[in-house]
Amino acid sequence: MPAARFDYIAPTTVEAAVAALVEGGRDTRVMAGGTDLLVKIRHRMLSPKRILSLKQIAGLDAITVDKKNGLTIGATALLADVAAHKGIHRYYPTVAEAAGGTANVQVRNMGTVVGNLCNASPSADNAPTLMAMGAIVDIAGPTGCRSMALDQFFQGPGLTALKPGEIVTAIRVPPPAAGSGTAYHSLSQRGKLDCSAVGVGTLVVLKADRCKDARIIVGACAPVPMRTQAAEKMLIGKKMTDTLIRQAARTASEETSPITDVRASAPYRWKMVSVLVIRALTDARKMAVRKQ
Amino acid sequence: MKHDISLTVNGDTYHLSVEPWRTLNEVLREDLNLTGTKLGCGSGDCGACTVMVDGKSVSSCLTLAVEMDGRQILTVEGLAPSGETLHPIQEAFIEKGAIQCGFCTPGMELSALNLLKTNPSPSDAQIRSAISGNLCRCTGYNKIVDAIAEAGRRIKHPSKARR
Amino acid sequence: MNAHSIIGKDIPRTDGRAKATGQAIYADDIKLPGMLHGKLLRSPLPHARILSIDTRRAASMPGVHCIITGQDIPRVTYGNWRLFPGTQDEYALAMDKVRFIGDEVAAVAAVDRDAAEAAIEQIKVEYEELPGVFDVASALATGAPVVHDTSPTNISIDRKIAYGDIDAGFAASDYVREDTFTVHAVSHAYMEPCACVAQSDLDGRITLWTSTQTPYIVQCLLASTLNMRENDIRVIKPNVGGGFGGKMELRPWEFCAAFMARQTGRPVKFTLTREEELAFGRRRHPMTVRSKVGFKNDGTLVAKDLHIYLDGGAYNAMGPTATFLSGNFGAMLYRYPNYRYLGEHVYTNKPPASAMRGFGAPQTLFAAETQMNIAAEELGIDPVEIRLKNAMVSGDELPGVATISSCGFIESLKEVRRISGWSRKRKTLKPGRGVGIGCYSFISGGVFNWFNTQYPFSAAEIRAFDDGTVHLLTMASDIGQGSDTVLKQILAETLGLRMEDVRLTAADTAMTPQADLGTWGSRVTLMAGNAVLDAAGKIKERLAGAVSARFDLNVIFDIEFADGRVFAAGKPDRGMTFGEAVAFVQKTQRGEPLVARGSYTPRGKGLVSPAFSFGAQVAEVKVDTDTGLVQVEKMWTAHDCGTVLNPMAVEGQLEGSVQMGLGYALSEQFVMDGGKTLNTTFLDYKIPNAADMPPGESVCIDTFEPEGPMGAKEAGEGLVSPTAPAIAEAVFHATGYRCKDLPITPEKVLKGLGKL
Repeated sequence: MPAARFDYIAPTTVEAAVAALVEGGRDTRVMAGGTDLLVKIRHRMLSPKRILSLKQIAGLDAITVDKKNGLTIGATALLADVAAHKGIHRYYPTVAEAAGGTANVQVRNMGTVVGNLCNASPSADNAPTLMAMGAIVDIAGPTGCRSMALDQFFQGPGLTALKPGEIVTAIRVPPPAAGSGTAYHSLSQRGKLDCSAVGVGTLVVLKADRCKDARIIVGACAPVPMRTQAAEKMLIGKKMTDTLIRQAARTASEETSPITDVRASAPYRWKMVSVLVIRALTDARKMAVRKQ
Repeated sequence: MKHDISLTVNGDTYHLSVEPWRTLNEVLREDLNLTGTKLGCGSGDCGACTVMVDGKSVSSCLTLAVEMDGRQILTVEGLAPSGETLHPIQEAFIEKGAIQCGFCTPGMELSALNLLKTNPSPSDAQIRSAISGNLCRCTGYNKIVDAIAEAGRRIKHPSKARR
Repeated sequence: MNAHSIIGKDIPRTDGRAKATGQAIYADDIKLPGMLHGKLLRSPLPHARILSIDTRRAASMPGVHCIITGQDIPRVTYGNWRLFPGTQDEYALAMDKVRFIGDEVAAVAAVDRDAAEAAIEQIKVEYEELPGVFDVASALATGAPVVHDTSPTNISIDRKIAYGDIDAGFAASDYVREDTFTVHAVSHAYMEPCACVAQSDLDGRITLWTSTQTPYIVQCLLASTLNMRENDIRVIKPNVGGGFGGKMELRPWEFCAAFMARQTGRPVKFTLTREEELAFGRRRHPMTVRSKVGFKNDGTLVAKDLHIYLDGGAYNAMGPTATFLSGNFGAMLYRYPNYRYLGEHVYTNKPPASAMRGFGAPQTLFAAETQMNIAAEELGIDPVEIRLKNAMVSGDELPGVATISSCGFIESLKEVRRISGWSRKRKTLKPGRGVGIGCYSFISGGVFNWFNTQYPFSAAEIRAFDDGTVHLLTMASDIGQGSDTVLKQILAETLGLRMEDVRLTAADTAMTPQADLGTWGSRVTLMAGNAVLDAAGKIKERLAGAVSARFDLNVIFDIEFADGRVFAAGKPDRGMTFGEAVAFVQKTQRGEPLVARGSYTPRGKGLVSPAFSFGAQVAEVKVDTDTGLVQVEKMWTAHDCGTVLNPMAVEGQLEGSVQMGLGYALSEQFVMDGGKTLNTTFLDYKIPNAADMPPGESVCIDTFEPEGPMGAKEAGEGLVSPTAPAIAEAVFHATGYRCKDLPITPEKVLKGLGKL
């Protein structure tokens, strides 16, 4: 059948949006930038009866950076605005880099970071770094507001922990700990401006030359962007040598369960996880050393 | 089901009644007969449909017309200041051999404008990154990159830069 | 040779302004009153018998005006090889069987696109699924399912070439090497999806505006499939957003638009989606190339035995030409005293392969050039040296097939070696970096009249006016390559006029002179250019006569045409303006306008092409040996395209070729699951973008092609061939991994390095 013929509403408050979503049920899809949703509708992967745009809700596109509360990116803040934001560049450079490396200029001028997360694509470029940095999702719903860790948010390809009637209003990232460094490395066949076949986001917190904390998140190699906790554990409390990084990378690779698809084969992805984890940990370590 | 919208395209305001699923690309091409904006893929991958909305380049194939209420849209038809004078980007595209089949040209020019309005002296890498969402199958891009650099010079120094 | 004022200059294309301002009209931009929108129903199965089609429900849907299936249309097959009707194996809509996923089964015309799509959804087709064949090996296996009953072995066409004594050649060789190469399918990926609008005139005739490279071929085949006379069909080519070989046949939507326009009395438009283009569209032939070569120890070539299977997909399309030409390209570039070729075109249940930029050369030359690089390695000879030793030169012959007239191959090799710093780089590059070479030769149009045209291969008509302007009419089809501009240049130069004095009308079968076979095989500049020169010569003759008479000149005087004037050579005052001369002629013929017609048909030029171009390309790459990603750092090209008529246009062709060659080598491929194409968007069908393109440097070798207009020949199509073998050799040089199966994916590189 032709691409879905949907109705369109654009409530002006979060409350009204939640109410409309409750009323509309599963046939209503929330839209921020629309760059992913409209493609899915075109390809008949989704056929909603109604689209609920968040763009008319005042203030939802806010980006704030403050030393105490950290970074908040509103649900309708554009990828381009996140990529160009001075405060994000300064304090969360990898967040800006991942946003700036998502798709192309036009899509970044339309699409949002939160939308990229809510589509719950295993390869979402913005997920690994934000997960590594301990990002928190702010959710508004029929029973009020709640928050959850981003690494609990993804449930499977296209599936999130959102309950019926719930909307993500913002993503928050805590202030980076002293001595922390982050990095994101992704791989695709066409330059850096492409849908990633593998993506790795890392966070490393150093105290002297010891690793105090580490997060390794791998995208596109499991049903959700996944934390490789065994690999993280190998690093914590240890001196972060190149050898240890290589060992952790091997472990991280074993933790993932990639599939073969049009972008890459499973064996290649496995191999690349370890290559990219090495690169991302090495870069994060470098930044952490600088920030100490 | 139709929504009433008013949008301004190239300085002209239109009052339209649109179905919510129709894209800006369809409305421009079919309702307003502004066929300069092309449709190359429909999924935001090729950039042939690029237009400016409130000064930012977007893919018109992934933009719902209903969301254009009150917006300012610039298409390739609005780029030249008059029928006799071309925009420096258009001049440079013609003179530098940046046009072959021409199907990517309108979108490419608007991506160039999106870049040059904030950065009239971009580096080669910045130009390539700025048009990486605009695919071209004829030129191999190099002459397009040259043209954009030249257009930047002309915008910055309208009198000096020539060829 | 006189100095040129327009030829050899960077003349910007004359449609640049229309395209830069968005005013240029492409087929999908056309909107006619009362126009209906068409949509095709395509087969979801790769191979099946059609048991029944029920269109009743669809027909009753709102806005639906017409639904047609194979049962409603004349049972007439079509195909471009009209000379051999047995090769014409397609119906516009499937009759009894579907043979690939996407095969056209029915068409709807409705008031808008949504209504047409909704109706398509309601057509019920009952299929009996048949086992399919999805590659050459399974298609050739004993007892394999048969795609077309007319070809029980699934081989639809074969072609043989043989000269010398192949067995004696190998017996006399010191070094014999046999390799099998496989090359994959890629998409033309022209930016403009196919579109057309058909209108039925009040007198029952059909006008079709369509995105095509070959208006005359579409006209003829549309006439035969509609059971109409050729001249009851008018085909007009609007601006075309690229073709690259993918728009040179009659296609089902063109037929359906015309047929339904006739049935409904309303214009009908079809526009394909990108997904349709990628999932079901024509593509470059995948080939399995088995090549055996014999050399003397000093690197001298002695023999070549070439066997190619072309994976043709479900229909012949332009496959016969690819089968024919691959054998020719296999024999080009070097002197093979003993040569044998067998090409076999195999049906499979996949979207048909057809013509695509290079037309057999990218595949054949990937194999030939890679094998040359392997031989150089094993014989311990530098890859450039071994080529110089065997390079074709002017006057060489492919017995019974072709004669090489102008040839700048040796110069190309030497130049590319010089500008790339080859000799130093081959020795000093660090691990992970490498340089490699690939070469090409290409045709300037085909000689073989497979379409069985009854007209000259190209024709031109010139109307000269007393205001100093001329009007050039030609059926040559500019699809973006710039031929309109180049033909104007040739005419303006010849008549001593300015570019702005020439008006051009092209590619309208009812208005422009019969005929022209269209844009393919790099034929336009040479053939249409010669037709323009022929017509221009006749105009000049008449004007020279007028000046001669007016000034009572001795018959021995040459008459010159320059700066808008016609005058006695060496006596500029004995002359008049071009317009005055035209007025003079017009007076002498009592008001009849000055019109001349010219044409070109290659004669006495063998079976393949009137002229051949040559070139060599060097690639430098950087390989990330952890990820297998290959980054092309720079491309150097030296090529011989005869006289360069427009350097900027030639460079544009070259750079476009590099983009396409780069994609072919590294990133473009169809991911298939049996007969199903899985990557149907530009997100996953990866043509290189601006950030992927390497910088380049190029040199044109100065030659003069006697058969070409002002010495010109092919430029830019053949150049799509050397890129892949050059990159493959550079990857080998960088890493030791030798690719014999395109594309060079990161995975293959890692596997080649033993890391995966």
